Amino acid sequence: MLASLRIPLVIILTAALGLSRDALGIDLALRDQEYQKQILPLLERTCFDCHSGTEPAGGMALNHFPTAKSVLKERKTWEKIIQRVDIGDMPPPDADPLSAEDRAKLIDWLRSTITDVDCGRTPNPGSVTLRRLNRNEYRNTIRDLLGIDYAPASDFPGDDVGYGFDNIGDVLTLPPILMEKYLAAAEEITSQAIFAPEPGQLFEISLSGEQLSFKDGVNKGNGRLNFYANGFAEFSEQAPWPGAYTLELNMSASKAGDDPARMAISVDGKKIREIAVVAEVENPKVYSLPLRLRSGKRTIKIEFINDFYVEAKGKSPAQDRNAYLFNVRLVSRKPAEPTVAESLPESHKKIVIAQPGSLVPPEEAFRKVLQPLASRAFRRPATKAELDRIVQLATKAHEEGESYEGSIRLAIQALIISPHFLFKVEQVPKEIKAGEYPKISQFELATRISYFLWSTMPDDRLLQLAIKKELDKPEIIRSEVKRMIQDKRANEFVENFAGQWLTLRKLDLFQPNSQLFPSWNDRIRELARRETFTFFAGVMRDDMSIMTLLDGDFTYLNEDLARYYGIAGVKGKEFRKVSLSGQPRMGLLTQASILAVTSNPTRTSPVKRGKWILDNVLGTPPPNPPPGVPELEKGKLTGTLREQIEQHRANAACASCHKLMDPLGLALENFDAVGLWRTQDAGEKIDASGVLPDGSSVKHAGDLIRTLRSKNPDQFARCLTEKMLCFALGRGLEYYDRCTVDRILVKLKADDYRFSTLVTEILVSDAFQRHGEREAL
Amino acid sequence: MAPRLSRRTVLRGMGATIALPLMDIMTPFQSVRGSTAPEAPLRILFFNVPNGAHMPAWTPTKDGKGFELPETLKVLANHRKYLTVLTGLTLDGAHAHGDGGGDHARSGAAFLTGAHPRKTDGADIQNSVSVDQVTAAALGAKTRLPSLELGLEGSAQAGSCDSGYSCAYSSNLSWRNSTSPLAKEINPAAIFDRLFTGENVAGAAKNKSQKIEQRKSILDFVQEDARDLQRKLGAADQRKLDEYLYAIRDVENRIVKSDKLRVGEDGIPNYPRPAGVPREWDEHCKLMMDMTALAIQSDSTRVVTFMYANEGSNRGYPEIGAPEGHHDLSHHGKSEDKQAKVQKINAYHLSKFANFVDQVASIQENGASLLDNCLILYGSGISDGDRHNHNDLPIILLGRASGRLEANMHVRYPDNTPLCNLYLWMLHQVGIKADSFGDSNGVLKIS
Repeated sequence: MLASLRIPLVIILTAALGLSRDALGIDLALRDQEYQKQILPLLERTCFDCHSGTEPAGGMALNHFPTAKSVLKERKTWEKIIQRVDIGDMPPPDADPLSAEDRAKLIDWLRSTITDVDCGRTPNPGSVTLRRLNRNEYRNTIRDLLGIDYAPASDFPGDDVGYGFDNIGDVLTLPPILMEKYLAAAEEITSQAIFAPEPGQLFEISLSGEQLSFKDGVNKGNGRLNFYANGFAEFSEQAPWPGAYTLELNMSASKAGDDPARMAISVDGKKIREIAVVAEVENPKVYSLPLRLRSGKRTIKIEFINDFYVEAKGKSPAQDRNAYLFNVRLVSRKPAEPTVAESLPESHKKIVIAQPGSLVPPEEAFRKVLQPLASRAFRRPATKAELDRIVQLATKAHEEGESYEGSIRLAIQALIISPHFLFKVEQVPKEIKAGEYPKISQFELATRISYFLWSTMPDDRLLQLAIKKELDKPEIIRSEVKRMIQDKRANEFVENFAGQWLTLRKLDLFQPNSQLFPSWNDRIRELARRETFTFFAGVMRDDMSIMTLLDGDFTYLNEDLARYYGIAGVKGKEFRKVSLSGQPRMGLLTQASILAVTSNPTRTSPVKRGKWILDNVLGTPPPNPPPGVPELEKGKLTGTLREQIEQHRANAACASCHKLMDPLGLALENFDAVGLWRTQDAGEKIDASGVLPDGSSVKHAGDLIRTLRSKNPDQFARCLTEKMLCFALGRGLEYYDRCTVDRILVKLKADDYRFSTLVTEILVSDAFQRHGEREAL
Repeated sequence: MAPRLSRRTVLRGMGATIALPLMDIMTPFQSVRGSTAPEAPLRILFFNVPNGAHMPAWTPTKDGKGFELPETLKVLANHRKYLTVLTGLTLDGAHAHGDGGGDHARSGAAFLTGAHPRKTDGADIQNSVSVDQVTAAALGAKTRLPSLELGLEGSAQAGSCDSGYSCAYSSNLSWRNSTSPLAKEINPAAIFDRLFTGENVAGAAKNKSQKIEQRKSILDFVQEDARDLQRKLGAADQRKLDEYLYAIRDVENRIVKSDKLRVGEDGIPNYPRPAGVPREWDEHCKLMMDMTALAIQSDSTRVVTFMYANEGSNRGYPEIGAPEGHHDLSHHGKSEDKQAKVQKINAYHLSKFANFVDQVASIQENGASLLDNCLILYGSGISDGDRHNHNDLPIILLGRASGRLEANMHVRYPDNTPLCNLYLWMLHQVGIKADSFGDSNGVLKIS
């Protein structure tokens, strides 16, 4: 009613006042007028008695919403309010009554305000915050980039979770402890990936200054050689091999005149270099010089060449420039023996594809090795400037004595600590105009797709398609989805997406009481989880309807797990498809993993199971429990679990939500806390019947599942779509994403809910392929 | 005077097999030369337990010096003269303030910040800097590690952590600023390596100073990458790169400061390197407490936070007859059985802490016990787990704060006295002249 009136009003006002609708097609000014005049007074009269002030009922204060915009900003809160008002649960009987007309007006206005997104124009595709690789992604990417499975990655600090997933850019932080681990990991990984010859034999000769022979203006004393006037000191030594040596002179000087003391260094009479000694007399410094020596007896001469002396005259003291030599070291490492090619690790052969030689200077070899590597590490062609810098890093290390391979290691370390590797970088245009949202680059798209479906870097094929600029074509995407889903890397999607959607990661924390549930153990935990993953993977790879997840009449078992369930005829360790006909089980909801993860250590929890279904199957999380839940008057609850739950529900404050959750959970009561079938609990016969909020009555789990499946299949489809879109984008969904979800649902339904269609439609959506805005409401 | 060997030369001769002696060689420059013992530094530690406590067994009935030890606190009887029980403190930031449910996430996030965290599942995380980090910013330059963030449970969990709050809130106590929580380390082996071998050595034979130089060159390289990238990205992304750059600089500082590790006259105890995270909670907890003691004893850091579990944890403790989950039990609905089990868990947690205090008390430092030079807070941001109230919190202090705290008393404050008043007092003890912290409205008087 209100809605039909509203549209012309909007048009008239927009035309008359020249008001522009915002990017979403919502005229906030108009909405605000309506809010102030019609809605706010209604809220004040009906709700504020309880829901305002410092200790509002249910922790929910409604007097914090001065404008329509503030309502829009807290959409989630208002969705729950609509839910409660709509089911007639609010306002409660003792409040100022709300007439049917006002109730409709309130709900209509709220609903249209918070969900009215103009999907006809170009809705905002949203903006993803820079995402760091989480630890799974890191491990997988290292494996695919360098061929090393770096297990300690699972030892990185846990990645924080947002919106139920651990790949959300906003919450993936980078604390210093993690950077420390990245650094250590990079060293460990590169040392595994690349064989660098062990440092060769060490040659080292250390002499005190007084041990050198000297001539002319030099004497010894005070534990040093004193160059009081021009003169030299020298020593001879057998250089054991030809190559790079380092000469270290520990020296100081007294300053006089304008110049510092200068020393000329020569080898076998040939001057190599001059150094200026600036260290003061009592604080000598080590001056280090690289030398190249031939093997055999070499004579190294250190000569003071700029003595300066002015005699004392009247009041001015003598000026005397001297130099002092405390000790001398000559060091070298023997160049490593050439390595036998066959013994090199595979990763080494793949990475070190060039060697320096007489015709190939090291810099060129580095460039050959690092160019493909840098591009794969950054998941896009590395720029020339980037490549120059990384080659320079390796070259410099090499010049300073690091081996060729060791220098490559170093360069790779830099590559995999670089933000271009650790983050899924997307270059956002400086300005984005509403309605004109640019596409992300082909390479960024490849990265998004590959981390979504594989939790790792794009493979060569995806990068090739990106280079050819074909990756965003719908037909290409469709065929790529089919290919990628069949690839074994898609197991990562199963573990990371399904594992988190179905909350199976929490299964590790579930410790049922071993006296009450002796058949459960760590092995069953693993097998049960594997059953669910295999089942999900089966539906995905056979491209079945996603509804099969709910009501599939098969599962995957091996002998041990089949015995656990009491299902006969399955032999061997391998998991295989097993029909469930004749069993009281179907789909995910009756699998032990999910039944266990929603239980308490000593008993089932119908409330948790019910909430789990609302959260993860129906996509309608119940309102939060109010803080400071009122204590039950009678104190202890008595009777069977069902009776206790019913007593709990007798409390009006609890009833409104529990009447949503409890019947769902109670229908699964025939499965105990570790998912085994039972007909009795503590001597009482199980009653799994109940009436669902929509009025349908169910007798047991099978009824429940069929009802969920047949009555409103779109609700499950929407729930799964929203979860998967959130995981795909790496951000929480916003209200404007409703358009994307709606479009996907239309296509999905038209294609019998086929799994690959869901994935494909996500990939071709604007939300996935375009840069949008981050809305500051 | 004969010139001293440079650090470079010393290291070169050492070879690969030596780990701990590195410290012995490097330290005498400071600690052997001076004959007068320097004043022992003050250590500040924060221990947090989830889900509140069974308060009737926690709060002493008598106030002042003559208080009797209530049931739960009895495990601390040996250290009574170091114990201060503070009753009546409130964490207002954890209250709903119109945000609805989520008390666990809020009290975890607010416990050391006193802020009211913004309700979000991810986007726009907003908390505030935590008291340990303010302390670390002031004291951190003096030690190798500005602070340590430890815990027994990692961050990752599936699902929303608490009623629309991101898990970042319920799993992190320490916040460097309003948007960057500091993840905790849960692996005792990793901490051991950070404390005593400095770095996780790959190819240990490599000349160490060269390795340090190479690490620096890598850090320089990636810093340039990040700065270059920062210029090209939007505001939210820049925040991420700011975190990156901070982490890089922090690691760089640690490398530079790696010769600052100070060892007491009696040296580091001969402690074996832990193998990893033990399966048993009990053993895990003990090892982490040992690492905490080693860290403060070696003066590797002066600020530690220790989180027993993520706030709202539902771990069961079958080993003490409480196999049901802690969180479920804490919603006891007045059930005596459940309340008794909650009390058991409280006492169990505290007994682990008491072992830690035993250990710290037994370490001698400048003629006193290390515990004399500690200021240790232990408590929860929730009082009764069933009501989720954030006033009347269970908070105790151990240690004498180098003589600044009298201890051995129970002090009762008017209800709604901000916990942050205590933090403000603590900041003053380490010489930070702050006027306020969080929602403080004065400096707590402990007498």
